Amino acid sequence: MIEFTLNGERVRTDAAPDTPLLWIVRDTFKLKGSKYGCGMGQCGACTMHVDGEAVRSCITPLAAVHGESVTTIEGLGTPASPHPLQTAWHQQSVLQCGYCQPGQIMSAAALLAHNPNPSEQEVEQGMAGNICRCGCYPRIKKAILAVASDAAGSELAEEVTT
Amino acid sequence: MSGVNLSRREFLTTTGLAGGGLVIGVSLAGCGASRPPVTPEAGSFVPNAFLEVTPDNVVRFFCPRDEMGQGVTTGLATIIGEELDVAPWNMDIVFAGPHEEYANPIFDVQITGGSTSVRGHYLPLRELGAQCRELLLQAASRELGLPVGAIATDDGHVLADGIRRPYGDFATAAAALEIPEAPPPLKPASAFKYIGKDFPRVDGMAKATGTATYGIDIDIPDMHHAVVKRCPVVGGTLRDLDKAAALSAPGVTDVVEIASGVAVVAKEFWQARKAADALEVHWDLPELAGLSTADIQADYRTAMETEEGLVAEEAEDIEAAMGEAETVVEGEYWAPYLAHAPMEPMNAVVRIEGDEADVWSGTQGIGAAQGLVARYAGLDKDKVRAHNTWLGGAFGRRGTLTHVVEATQVAAATGKPIHLLWTREDDIRHGLFRPASLMRIKAGLDGEGNMLAWQAKRVGGNITPDTIANAMPGLLPTAIGDSVIGLAVGLADHAFGGWVVDGSSVEGLFEDYEAGHVDVRHVTRDHGLPLTFWRSVGHSYTAFAKESMIDELAAKSGQDPVAFRLRHTQNNPRLNRVIRIAGERMAAMQPAPGRHLGFAAHHSFSTDVAEVAEVSVEGNEIRVHRVLCVLDCGIAINPDIVKAQMEGSVMYGLTAALHGNLELVDGAIRESNFHDYPILRMNEAPSVEVVLIDSDGEPTGVGEPGLPPIAPAVANAVFAATGRRLRSLPLRLS
Repeated sequence: MIEFTLNGERVRTDAAPDTPLLWIVRDTFKLKGSKYGCGMGQCGACTMHVDGEAVRSCITPLAAVHGESVTTIEGLGTPASPHPLQTAWHQQSVLQCGYCQPGQIMSAAALLAHNPNPSEQEVEQGMAGNICRCGCYPRIKKAILAVASDAAGSELAEEVTT
Repeated sequence: MSGVNLSRREFLTTTGLAGGGLVIGVSLAGCGASRPPVTPEAGSFVPNAFLEVTPDNVVRFFCPRDEMGQGVTTGLATIIGEELDVAPWNMDIVFAGPHEEYANPIFDVQITGGSTSVRGHYLPLRELGAQCRELLLQAASRELGLPVGAIATDDGHVLADGIRRPYGDFATAAAALEIPEAPPPLKPASAFKYIGKDFPRVDGMAKATGTATYGIDIDIPDMHHAVVKRCPVVGGTLRDLDKAAALSAPGVTDVVEIASGVAVVAKEFWQARKAADALEVHWDLPELAGLSTADIQADYRTAMETEEGLVAEEAEDIEAAMGEAETVVEGEYWAPYLAHAPMEPMNAVVRIEGDEADVWSGTQGIGAAQGLVARYAGLDKDKVRAHNTWLGGAFGRRGTLTHVVEATQVAAATGKPIHLLWTREDDIRHGLFRPASLMRIKAGLDGEGNMLAWQAKRVGGNITPDTIANAMPGLLPTAIGDSVIGLAVGLADHAFGGWVVDGSSVEGLFEDYEAGHVDVRHVTRDHGLPLTFWRSVGHSYTAFAKESMIDELAAKSGQDPVAFRLRHTQNNPRLNRVIRIAGERMAAMQPAPGRHLGFAAHHSFSTDVAEVAEVSVEGNEIRVHRVLCVLDCGIAINPDIVKAQMEGSVMYGLTAALHGNLELVDGAIRESNFHDYPILRMNEAPSVEVVLIDSDGEPTGVGEPGLPPIAPAVANAVFAATGRRLRSLPLRLS
């Protein structure tokens, strides 16, 4: 039996410990915001936070999160109470098909939590693990920099780290 | 040999896909679901298949086209909302189910593609919006006892006598009125409140919070997961199979042989995936197994040399004209097979219960999904409920629904509700593919630098026969059996191989410039890989050949590449203007030392686009720093979304220009996932500046036309940087 915290709630499962976290979250706990894109940690569509660090949940075995705290896109913000990155994504029409965007936003949130004021190049490097097939990169970059330069955004990024 | 050149539209009409036709001889009218497309709430006003106004003031828009990221929900809601006078973001937008009312006006079938959605729906949806508003006004007029002229509207509300009441208050009264035959007059462009204005996409918050439901997210009671083990070589058939090990694996409930391979069914996806990977299967390999990319290239080259080809465009005196030329330039261009690789791999959920079924899948053709489930589950079409979802990218790939067929076959065989998901490896290796192409262009200039002759030939496969093969089973009545369809497909294959030029194979190879004598030929070579539309279709490779050659002609005759293009587009004012404006901006760009500019222009999907790429070359590495994109697409419904489509097309095209390559080794695709089929990443992505030419012309295509010019613009910049002409995609200096 493996136990961990999922978006602030204690959860447990007796699923096979080598099952990737992604499928546990999607199929066992029915949180569908995190996406399958490649299954080998190449595209970042499955990005979640484990104790504040961005991880590729498609290659993170369930056993690795025993006792840890997992945050998914659903735990970052909701339509009624969005994270500043989610607000920026909406207001700036960052996304197109949107499928990779939960992963992009989780990577961006972790990036800002570690580096509240990144340079353009730091954003590019920090986000290079997330593929967007629609090619929203210029807008993703712009939105992250805008949120970073926004004081409210910086405050929230600090909350994510703590 | 003389041929017939068919456009995509003509093809759909001719083959019977668009209703009534040559091959099958039946009309599709009446073959859709017989249920009414909208089941209204009590007291609702439903003036047509697209709108519902409920008494509690929900204005619901049944969006007839599929949202794959191109912004069509926002765009079409803007168009209908403009005349209805409801802000797009205040509508409840739902995906329309299968019904002939929701046919694409350009193709006459319920398909989203070809950059047609805004173009096709612009006037019809405005008329329907205006009609709905007019009836609401009449109802308000009666109820308030005021003349219609004394009543105004604003964003879903009726304004009269200083009061503001929601449309919903008049819904029931409006429903009792007779719908007039002629639509009321439409607004002049000067009165537009939403069209032509920038505002956020309607799907932004749902997608940013992970609450938008894609096909992969569908979860229904007792749902089982299926993964298909496929023959590494497309077209291989099962020889033998050891089911026992898989059946004893945790969670696995069924192992089912289907046409495309062996489906492993389990309670969880991961269980199915692991068991499918471990499955022992032996295949009988098809002829394709003997071939590698080099063999296909060699075959194409032989065909190029030895076959005259079908005529797509004929100039009888082409040799004479070429003989008169002072300068003759010849180039041969290669474009490889490509996968679409949308972020969401193909998937479908199918549930069969008695004589009814449900299917959920994000598709570019929900009507075909319904038809396929009906056919392969042996049900009546109107007993199949087909539910569309958001599409996690498509780029042409989601117009072919083999995954729906597979899910249906597995659901029928197991009696369980099935969620069938292609792995990324399935997606890269098992198609469908953008066809590989070998193109040769020979062009002649006179002493003054005017083009006298343009001779082009393309060798490769055609997408149309595969499109027919994949679309017919879904679109035709189930009473028409597979054997009849097989005959029709065989005929089409024969036709496009032997006497009809598939327009999509040569489109874009010659149309844009005035060249005196133009002769274009096509030779079909098909080695059996499944082919389909890939964002911008034929233009994705023809523009590379054409614009590379134009650049080379300008350079060889000592002419400025922009001036050369302007001089040969004198009778094509819209393209000419786009080239001129992009050229002026290019002149002002002042690239940093070590950076070089390349220019390309192309007309596709009724839109004109010119692009400038700023490129540096270090060692063998090509880096694209900045792209300028100038376009004329008529009136832009939402200019910011148009710009996003150009940005995205540039990125999609750059992936193909810099990385995209599928290599066939002994009949199997070598690449399998993003580590060896790389997609452009943020650290490689250029900045993109989009200049939209102000226009009040009818809107034209936006989803695809930004793509074709980018590869040649980069190649031409590489020439400026290195003096080398790269004629193969992806562009490689090593």
